Amino acid sequence: MKRIRTIAAVVAVAAVFATTACTSTPPGSSSDPSEKANLTFWSWVPGVDKAVDLWNKENPNIQVKLEQTPAGSSGTYAKMYSALKAGKGAPDLAQIEYQELPGFVLENGLVDLKPLGMGVESSKFVDWQLGQSTFGDSVYAVPQASGPMGLYYREDIFSALGLKAPATWDEYAVAAKTIHDANPAQYINTFAPGNSAWFTALAWQAGAKWFGLDGDTWTVNIDSDTTLKVASYWDKLREAGLIKTEPDFANGWYSDLQNGNIVAWPSAQWGGSILSGNAPTTAGKWKVAPLPQWDSTYASANWGGSSTAVLKGTSNAQAAEKFAVWLNTDPQSISLLLAGGYGWPAAKNALAGSTLDKPEEFLGGQNANKDVFKKSDESINTSWGWIPTTANTYTHLNDGFQAAVEGHGTFVDAVKAAQTATIADLEAKGLKVRAGD
Amino acid sequence: MVLPLVYAIYESVTGIQRSGAFGQGGSSPVFVGLDNYITALGASAFVASLGRVLLFAVVQVPVMIILATALALLLDAASAWGVRFFRSAYFLPYGVPGVIASILWGFLYTPGLSPLVNFGSALGLNLDFLGGGSILWSIANIVTWQYAGYNMLVIVAQLKSIDADLFEAASIDGANAWQVITRIKLPLIRPAIVLTTVFTIIGTIQLFAEPLVLKPLSSAITSSFTPNLSAYNEAFANNNYNLAAAESVLLALVACAFSFGFLKLVTRGGSPS
Repeated sequence: MKRIRTIAAVVAVAAVFATTACTSTPPGSSSDPSEKANLTFWSWVPGVDKAVDLWNKENPNIQVKLEQTPAGSSGTYAKMYSALKAGKGAPDLAQIEYQELPGFVLENGLVDLKPLGMGVESSKFVDWQLGQSTFGDSVYAVPQASGPMGLYYREDIFSALGLKAPATWDEYAVAAKTIHDANPAQYINTFAPGNSAWFTALAWQAGAKWFGLDGDTWTVNIDSDTTLKVASYWDKLREAGLIKTEPDFANGWYSDLQNGNIVAWPSAQWGGSILSGNAPTTAGKWKVAPLPQWDSTYASANWGGSSTAVLKGTSNAQAAEKFAVWLNTDPQSISLLLAGGYGWPAAKNALAGSTLDKPEEFLGGQNANKDVFKKSDESINTSWGWIPTTANTYTHLNDGFQAAVEGHGTFVDAVKAAQTATIADLEAKGLKVRAGD
Repeated sequence: MVLPLVYAIYESVTGIQRSGAFGQGGSSPVFVGLDNYITALGASAFVASLGRVLLFAVVQVPVMIILATALALLLDAASAWGVRFFRSAYFLPYGVPGVIASILWGFLYTPGLSPLVNFGSALGLNLDFLGGGSILWSIANIVTWQYAGYNMLVIVAQLKSIDADLFEAASIDGANAWQVITRIKLPLIRPAIVLTTVFTIIGTIQLFAEPLVLKPLSSAITSSFTPNLSAYNEAFANNNYNLAAAESVLLALVACAFSFGFLKLVTRGGSPS
């Protein structure tokens, strides 16, 4: 009897615990800006430590303690979510990628920055990047940077084979065959089956729009003909054995980049610092061309993109907002972040005169930012948005792509399966959802 | 002890209801009965992951226990020279944290970096440790490397506790070394073997760190490669604690069933000496 009562008490306590954890997050208190504030900031962007040092030197009253974390999807988001659920342990500020913002908004984890100053300061940012952190009438993060895409390729190897940078995806497929036929160890690129963010960007370029919001109802349109066209294109290259399917951002891939077994990479502007950092011996041999095209109208896409958000439970939301805006708009801060390779600034007019606008030795003296990425940035379909369960969608695609690489099904199957699974994910969150756009 | 279990069961029968696109109209937990269990068991990837760890256990447990027992008997039989060295050497991998061990082996498995793969290709062998057909056994290799020495030590401890008089009596009766092993040592170290087997069953069914670390290196490891990985992914990547709880409870039931099933099997068929 006693035991039953104990169990009942435990259940009751657990229930109370669960409900309070969901509802009682104290609002960020705003206070006098001259007041002292100590803030913690989780970020993994290279170079951010230098920007934070600069801020701390200039702002003795608002001291920011940077904690450098692994990339968000490598466990840091999980840590933030559990800290938010627990109601303590979350940092005041955090790096959050655009595709993850709706998830944090859904868990009621972010402070609305609009009344704290972002409403006025929003004009400092590129519209579409601001749109990535605006939900309804609220601005939940300060935009930081994006990843307009281009094609990195080994100019030396291409020209030795008489190839030019492919202007269309058809030409790209021909180049893939020429390269692999000439040297069976060489491949044009890897289709990393575990990195569906990359595939998502390529579908974005082709004109797909996966997610939307119709009133209170989320719309999911992953398996559109446009996306299936992209998936089937890579299916054909994979079935012909013309691409590698090893993971990217892994040692095997770095080693292939170093020894020239992978000779191209459709990637974002920040990809240059990945290449120069991991294959330094290939310096001077790379060039950047515009992303190969599907149609005659030039279209680009964005891969990656990040913001600085203020998390619920912060000790001083006003000070945190002030720092977040400074970090992403101050020219000196932007220079320091650019030096680390954080991407394409979300602040307006950041190219001219900045460290971005100069020839790069790694690219054999090409000024790729001016030649390629500026136009790429201007040609992104900016109506693209995300859902609160984007991470799940990535997982479904990864699982399907990996299965295809292992000989079970195709990339097309993976895309179709991700559509169904994504609708189920949103339903599981208690949200309204329908297929279509 | 029971609190986390009760909480897990509570979470596993709970769902969430929201109004508004971002739940701004309020959200509340609702009782959903067995819905999460139905979702878990309806997901072919989760069911496949259960099948995968069971297959893993069927192969891994006997290999591990036979190897550990053989090593223990060898060390026990060997002359004094080198015994201490080998005992420490076999035990050493246990001191390496599982994550580090997986990273080390990950390097040995990655084409382009691995001396093993290079050596194989020099001999004309195309070794693919990270492919779909081999990855489970590549993980088995890491697990065996790590824990065989530990299990061996548990068995050695029991071997040491055998009364020396028994061996003396056996040699007077003219028993050879093999007979000593099969008639005296093996029956007397039975409890240690049973114990290490149960631990190994539980350990293999809960397979987690090794596939998590190798995941970035291998396209064969999906987000739900093992049930634990699936629950981890649901809880921390997808924020679906309820489904994660249901999966965890199911996994605990499977581990329980197999451990107790094994114990029941050995106590029924066993001949206590």
